[in-house]
Amino acid sequence: MLKKSIINNLHSIVGEENALSDNAKLESFSVDDVLPEIVLSPNNVEQISEIMKVASKESLSVIPWGSGTKSALGNKPDRADIVISTKNLNRILEHGASDLVATTESGVTLKKFQSVLNKENQFLALDPPHVGRKATVGGIIATNDGGPERLRYGTLREFLIGLKVVRADGSVFKGGAKVVKNVAGYDLPKLYVGSLGTLGIIVEATFRLYPVPEYSETYIAGFSTLEDAHDAVMTLLNSDIVITSLEILNPELISFLAKRNDLDLIDNQYTLAIGIKNVEKAVKDQVSTVKTLCDQKGGKGKVISGGQEEKFWDDVRDFPWKLFKTARVVCKASVLITQIPKVLETVKRLSGENGIKTYISARAGNGILIISIKGEVSSMIESLNSLRAFVSSIGGHLILQEAPYEIKAGVSVWGDFGSGLGIMERIKFNFDPDNLLNPGRYIT
Amino acid sequence: MTTQHKSKSLSWKKKFRNRLIEIIGATGVISSDDELIAYECDALTGYRIKPIFVVLPNSAKEVSAVIKECHHENIPFVPRGAGTGLSGGALPTEEGIVISLSRMDKILDVDIPNQRVVVEPGVVNIWVTNAVSSSGYYYAPDPSSQIVCTIGGNVAENSGGVHCLKYGVTTNHVLGVEMVLPDGEIIEVGGKTLDHPGYDLTGLVVGSEGLLGIVTKVTLKIIKKPEDVKTLFASFDHIEDAGASVSGITARGVIPAGMEIMDSFCIRAVEETVGAGYPVDAGAILLVELDGPKAEVEAQMPLVEEVLKEHKANQIKVAKDAKERELFWKGRKSAFPAMGRISSDYYVQDGVIPRSKLAEVLGEIAELSKKYGLRVANVFHAGDGNLHPLVLYDSSKEGDLDKTLELSGEILQVCVDKGGSITGEHGVGHDKKRFLSLMFDENDLDAMNLIRCAFDVKGLCNPGKLFPTPRTCVEPGMKPFEEHPLQKAGLGEMY
Repeated sequence: MLKKSIINNLHSIVGEENALSDNAKLESFSVDDVLPEIVLSPNNVEQISEIMKVASKESLSVIPWGSGTKSALGNKPDRADIVISTKNLNRILEHGASDLVATTESGVTLKKFQSVLNKENQFLALDPPHVGRKATVGGIIATNDGGPERLRYGTLREFLIGLKVVRADGSVFKGGAKVVKNVAGYDLPKLYVGSLGTLGIIVEATFRLYPVPEYSETYIAGFSTLEDAHDAVMTLLNSDIVITSLEILNPELISFLAKRNDLDLIDNQYTLAIGIKNVEKAVKDQVSTVKTLCDQKGGKGKVISGGQEEKFWDDVRDFPWKLFKTARVVCKASVLITQIPKVLETVKRLSGENGIKTYISARAGNGILIISIKGEVSSMIESLNSLRAFVSSIGGHLILQEAPYEIKAGVSVWGDFGSGLGIMERIKFNFDPDNLLNPGRYIT
Repeated sequence: MTTQHKSKSLSWKKKFRNRLIEIIGATGVISSDDELIAYECDALTGYRIKPIFVVLPNSAKEVSAVIKECHHENIPFVPRGAGTGLSGGALPTEEGIVISLSRMDKILDVDIPNQRVVVEPGVVNIWVTNAVSSSGYYYAPDPSSQIVCTIGGNVAENSGGVHCLKYGVTTNHVLGVEMVLPDGEIIEVGGKTLDHPGYDLTGLVVGSEGLLGIVTKVTLKIIKKPEDVKTLFASFDHIEDAGASVSGITARGVIPAGMEIMDSFCIRAVEETVGAGYPVDAGAILLVELDGPKAEVEAQMPLVEEVLKEHKANQIKVAKDAKERELFWKGRKSAFPAMGRISSDYYVQDGVIPRSKLAEVLGEIAELSKKYGLRVANVFHAGDGNLHPLVLYDSSKEGDLDKTLELSGEILQVCVDKGGSITGEHGVGHDKKRFLSLMFDENDLDAMNLIRCAFDVKGLCNPGKLFPTPRTCVEPGMKPFEEHPLQKAGLGEMY
């Protein structure tokens, strides 16, 4: 229990109206069933800094919180005294449309941010899941979340050019700049992408933007074998077609998606979804080439566009969360592009052996597989550990993105951090010597 | 100015040299004064320091063994690639050694299907593209010095080039490194696959100017050559109009592969040297390159021409074939050397501004040029707002160099005032460390120092660079901000 004097102190910083401490309300801020003592929603950077000074003085642990859409990522926290919600850091500070940059506070939702940028026909080139569930800019940075369009645009590290952070001791610093090209000092924004709140509380971020492409179409084609589908992938990647997103969907996933999206496809096949965004003529020309290339490998498919296309990709991005309301198990495997079929085959074998059902969307041009599984807990644990062993044996990685605690108890969330771990731990120690920020969930 | 080192005894040096020879062999250790001269500076030749020795290791293991020796003896070491850096990043440290990576120049792995190339740090930038070109791929970052500069140096400086508006800089194309830490430990971060668990150390190391360790292997991403490329130049009476065209083009939703501006000084110098076909009476020219799918380039070309005409372009010339396109670029790429025809000496500045401020900043630079009575030639990567004003001076004229440096410093202040940066691609190094505080306050610099200290507690790796004032590290196990015993005793100060 927090001492009364500390609670009073925290109340005086944010105002009582911005503090929650009754158990019923705290429930929705629990992480792996660890309940915080208090949830604070500061109004500005100065208040966050004051809270961190108190936390630092009293050795209180802090969990930074956006909308909580990725709160199941990471190990079970060692402790959770305070949750700092960024929901009141909700101002978009600057949109330099002619410079293609924008600065926002971290509690702004991606949806709101995009809608403001869209007014100038620009956007943050990021298509992560949870946008409909109010994922915030800060949370997306902290978890390095992304989606299928990373093939064309890359990940957050490519767009985050500046940021402001409150450190564990309450000091505030900025890194990077507000111009797209800058090599002055260390590239601190990159360090914070995917740092899961362990190095400070991100309060402000500056991004480089892109113009919204004029037109979009997606070609979806099923193949009679995985080999044919992957041959088509390699041909597409080796062509000069500029593809925006390229996914291999396994038969289980495409049957789910086909039904939801009136796709009328043969739904027990490995299927490719190839999205192209560009000026209209370039889209039409390239989609026609894509179709020809797929035809040569026996692919049978159809072109979708407009609202149907948008909904389809929305489903691809969010499929684990659309498939399962609770107890979701989602992992991300990263391998070489050429090794994707091996992973898909291994998953298929493990699913058969362990009696689990598996849904996969593989970012075929990046070597990333988003895998969601359903089955008995013990079977899932066994499958995940076997899959990780296989992925590691071919030089890849497997991360648990979301899972109930009973799964995390049997499967390491992060796997092997590699020989850089020592440096990571020293960075964490230098920035947060008392291990107050998200203790135990990531680098400690 | 050459500084002589003093304190290490001759017998110590002899012993240390023998140790280095045991590790690398006699041909890998340079110790004669004649040969050391070549390593006194990089391309920022105004500062020179003679190192004790230069070593030329052949492998990560040898680099590690040398660094362990330095760590044990508290000898600073400075990594060096081809020495083309313009900020003094490879300037030796007094009483220190230089570790030249020039012998580690092998391309280790060319993996076309996975779009990866793994190289040693001494591999020259252009070799990478040469190795994959026949398969239709290339390595995107293309600094002007790409026929000599090395990947190791590119990683240290996070080098850019003329095509980074669309394709990004070095950091966007490096997926992992093997590096030797300042205590000699060899680690691997990132690699051929994406999304490794843990902090993005690769992102930190790229652009760290050789202060975090020595990179011994680099994994690069290669990309497919575009279907179509179109290059044009437009001439203007006034450089401000060229500047305004740039944001006009991006405002139309067009992201060209590159956009470069040259002013009348440069145009004339370049024409005399290479004859790129630029109109010599123009106030400025803007070079625009579009690439991508044919239909996209064809759709965007008229938009670009429209914007250029709106901004009073006199002549718009589209390169009719690859040969003419190369000629257009040759003009741009030879702008620096061509300056030699106009002025005996010149100083290259490197600053960044938001591209929407181009026109007004060019005006301010012209004012500064008048104020100091020195000519300033402008050539720059206009698309990303990266200016390279060349201040022309005469080193034989008393006080000219001082005035030049002062003027260049004022240009940086203008860049920062407009919300920009003191360096877009040349780095801070030795040359600009005093300007870093224009952008970053004490808290910001503290955060950077925490990074350096995580890698290099002793401060031996390329010390004296980047940070405006020397900063120490707290010792492991001690809390930052707790008073160091030396501080308590009034004997030292923590920065």
